[in-house]
Amino acid sequence: MKYKIHLFALITLALFACRKDKSKVDGPSITEIFSDFKVAETFKCSKDSVNFNKGETAFFTARFNKIVKWTITIQGNTSKAVKIINGESKVIDASNSSWNGSTTVFPMFAKEFCLAKLTIKDVTDSFTTNVRISNTKKLEGVIVADFETGLNAKWTRFAQSGANMDFQIKTDAFAPQGKSYLNMAGTVNWDYLIGLIDFPANAYSAAPTLPLPTNPESVYFNCLIYGVNNTNTSLVLFQFKEDENGDGIINANNEDEYDYQITVDWVGWKLISIRYADIVTLVNGNPAAAKGNALHNPDKIGKISMLHLANPNNGFASSKLDLMMFTLNKPLEP
Amino acid sequence: MKHTQKKNINSISNKANMPTVKVKYSIGLTLLLIFSLQLNAQKDRKLTFVGGARSILNNGRLIVNDSIPDTTTVKRNEGGYALIDLGVNIKPNKNTEIMGMFRIKNNFGGFWGSGVSFDVRQLWIKGIVGNVLRYQLGDLNLKQSKFTLYNHHADQIDSLPAIFNLQQNIVNYERFYMNNNTWRMQGANVDFGLTFSKFLKEINFTAFLTRLNATNFANVSDRLMNAYSVQLVKNNHLALTGHTNTIFDVNGTTNNKNLFNNSVNSIEWKYENKLKTDNAYSFAGEFGNSHYYYSADTLAPRLSDYFIHAFAQMKLKKMNLMATVGYLNVGADFRSIGAQSKDVNYNAQPVYFNRYTNTQVIRPTTLFDVISNENIYSRTINSNFMSGSQLFNNVLPYGLATFNRVGAYLKLNYKNKKELMANAEYYNLSEIRGQGTTALKQFAIYKVNVNVPFHKLFNLKRTLSIQAATNMQMANRKGNEAIEDVDLKMMQTTVGLRWEFSPNFELIGGMINQTNKGNDFSADRNAYTEVTYFQLNNYNLTQQITAVGLRYNFTPKIYLCALYQQSNYQDKKQNNANFKMNQFGLIYNIIL
Repeated sequence: MKYKIHLFALITLALFACRKDKSKVDGPSITEIFSDFKVAETFKCSKDSVNFNKGETAFFTARFNKIVKWTITIQGNTSKAVKIINGESKVIDASNSSWNGSTTVFPMFAKEFCLAKLTIKDVTDSFTTNVRISNTKKLEGVIVADFETGLNAKWTRFAQSGANMDFQIKTDAFAPQGKSYLNMAGTVNWDYLIGLIDFPANAYSAAPTLPLPTNPESVYFNCLIYGVNNTNTSLVLFQFKEDENGDGIINANNEDEYDYQITVDWVGWKLISIRYADIVTLVNGNPAAAKGNALHNPDKIGKISMLHLANPNNGFASSKLDLMMFTLNKPLEP
Repeated sequence: MKHTQKKNINSISNKANMPTVKVKYSIGLTLLLIFSLQLNAQKDRKLTFVGGARSILNNGRLIVNDSIPDTTTVKRNEGGYALIDLGVNIKPNKNTEIMGMFRIKNNFGGFWGSGVSFDVRQLWIKGIVGNVLRYQLGDLNLKQSKFTLYNHHADQIDSLPAIFNLQQNIVNYERFYMNNNTWRMQGANVDFGLTFSKFLKEINFTAFLTRLNATNFANVSDRLMNAYSVQLVKNNHLALTGHTNTIFDVNGTTNNKNLFNNSVNSIEWKYENKLKTDNAYSFAGEFGNSHYYYSADTLAPRLSDYFIHAFAQMKLKKMNLMATVGYLNVGADFRSIGAQSKDVNYNAQPVYFNRYTNTQVIRPTTLFDVISNENIYSRTINSNFMSGSQLFNNVLPYGLATFNRVGAYLKLNYKNKKELMANAEYYNLSEIRGQGTTALKQFAIYKVNVNVPFHKLFNLKRTLSIQAATNMQMANRKGNEAIEDVDLKMMQTTVGLRWEFSPNFELIGGMINQTNKGNDFSADRNAYTEVTYFQLNNYNLTQQITAVGLRYNFTPKIYLCALYQQSNYQDKKQNNANFKMNQFGLIYNIIL
């Protein structure tokens, strides 16, 4: 009898457990994926002209018969700046193609006409549309240096007297933002240091520290660095020196210094962004204990030093720098 | 009520401990030397040295059959290594045991530092508190139920001829697959039992906490597994076990507030009894549910689903037969990292002839690798979703814990007193939820495995046995549109021979043939295990491994063996270039 009861229980359990979930399907439709590609709605931009400075955005629209991997490449006719937007969908709309004037490949966009080109993976045809930038994107944050107005009188500049030295602001087509940038180059075969600039807080306000919030988690340091082809590797070192007691004097023995060293091992302009809370103290390139209160206090940064370094045994090194600035809550989106 | 007595640590059933010497076999077609040391083996000694050693010499050849002759790849491979695992087992008192094992490995060609590595192979402490509570800290070999934490070995061939087992056992030793279906983990484990005189026979409690990955102090949080099982044994017939297994990110170990959580809860039951005819029957199974989510990621889905597995088993003693009929229902959103981690990592590159052809593409993972390449096997569970291979197991890539499967199975096992053995299995399964279509795939597995010990059947003095097995898997779907149709078959056949033709001299051989033919779609999944795309795969692939060897048994634990092995990979769809690998080797094996 027990045997029958258990058998009955088993069969009942199995019947209860029978299920087919036809109301849902996992993943995209196979029929769509493997059918021939067709455009159901042509590629367009939502605006003929857009003023990014006022916070406006533009987006693109298109519709296909299936989910595809697509790329929109927007290029400025004059600046040659490029913005790339990628996606994988059946529909291109504001949710996946919104553009706020930011740049993927530098220089940054200018007031200019742009050509937007839509390419689709495994489809030979491409589709284009035009959009005009009536005003460029506003840079929101605390700008330390964009070199547009030359050297600030309160900055301190030092350059070694090596061969082929250049530690000057240049104004030419290389500039990724505005018209000017800092060019750093030279051969210094007796020292790592090629040149440096100190950016004291009093260059920006009467206070002894930079006007930044207290929370190091919300403060990002950003800059644009250009790696020069066929030169030896540059090191760009940023030193954030905190004036913890606010006396206007940086004391290296009992106040924090946080350091961010960048090995410039790429070619072209690159955006560097780091959260202030993630920057550590370095001694000879190695992490070390901070000498002050050991707390990241962005609101107490009294001076930033930017050093251009290179291995003295390697010879000539060169790189370029532009748009040093702090942003809040997120990295710079230039 | 009284505590279950644990008189001495040596009486502990050691599921979390690796045996002192477990190298039973070694790699075919290589020279392998294994010896072990066990000094002061008497039970009451406080200090015991344990360990093992192995030396492997490879002699392999690659033959590439590509449309463009391969003039780039180096076609011969000779090398190997020697290693020693030296462990110290300390028993400071009768209730405590400490084990530390170091590995020194030297790749041939390197000496005095070059190519030499030193590792800690295992480290643990175990003991008993108050003659009641057993504990172990450090390395643990753990499993729970088949749906909570279990190493299913879903892609390993479960009817391997003995000659291939030599290689598979090296993988098992290297990856700590020592106690069947366990995963090697690190953490703490405790268990204790209580016995009763009334109502219940006993209660057993097991709990463990292990660390799956460590924080990087930036954005990757500490990920832990916390689990416990409570078993209620009513009497000799009925037992119920409740399992809980939770994998979770530890809040505060980084500033990342998006914390992962995967919890599985289940209840296992087993009822067994005997009939008057001396036959026995049992009903057993497990049901439960899972939850899988990220705490703060708005893009991440919250997946919850349930599973049921139940089976009835009848043992017919006079007929030497055991029959099992089972039912399986695992929801499409059932996620259990502990039970759905795979031992084979198909994204790992094979180290042996890992690139080939003139363009130096990565050699595909083949039957040869699945049998003998330890580098594609995972030591522990992976905290992320692991994809399977349609070539080796398309029906149950995660064993019984494979999600999106419903159906039944039947097993027949015959084994007589003379060890004539025959097993047959049949699975008939279906998807629960469509993949890219509302049409559902149907699956079937047919397995037959026969072992004939002629020496026992005909009372021969020397061993003569033949083993043969076949494993056929099918996946079909009749789609709403022709493009959705699926028809993929896998046929795997194994044959093995063991013949003692002269006293202590054995001829051993084996062959495995596998064909995959047809088409199926494989799913691309994102980090949340959601399907994002489907790839259409067309197969017409044949793989074959043949091996033959001569073995001389000095004692049951010491033997010398010479082996020759050929493997052949033929892809008629030309997705990958065809190739062959031939190997020769010697095995010298000692277990003390």
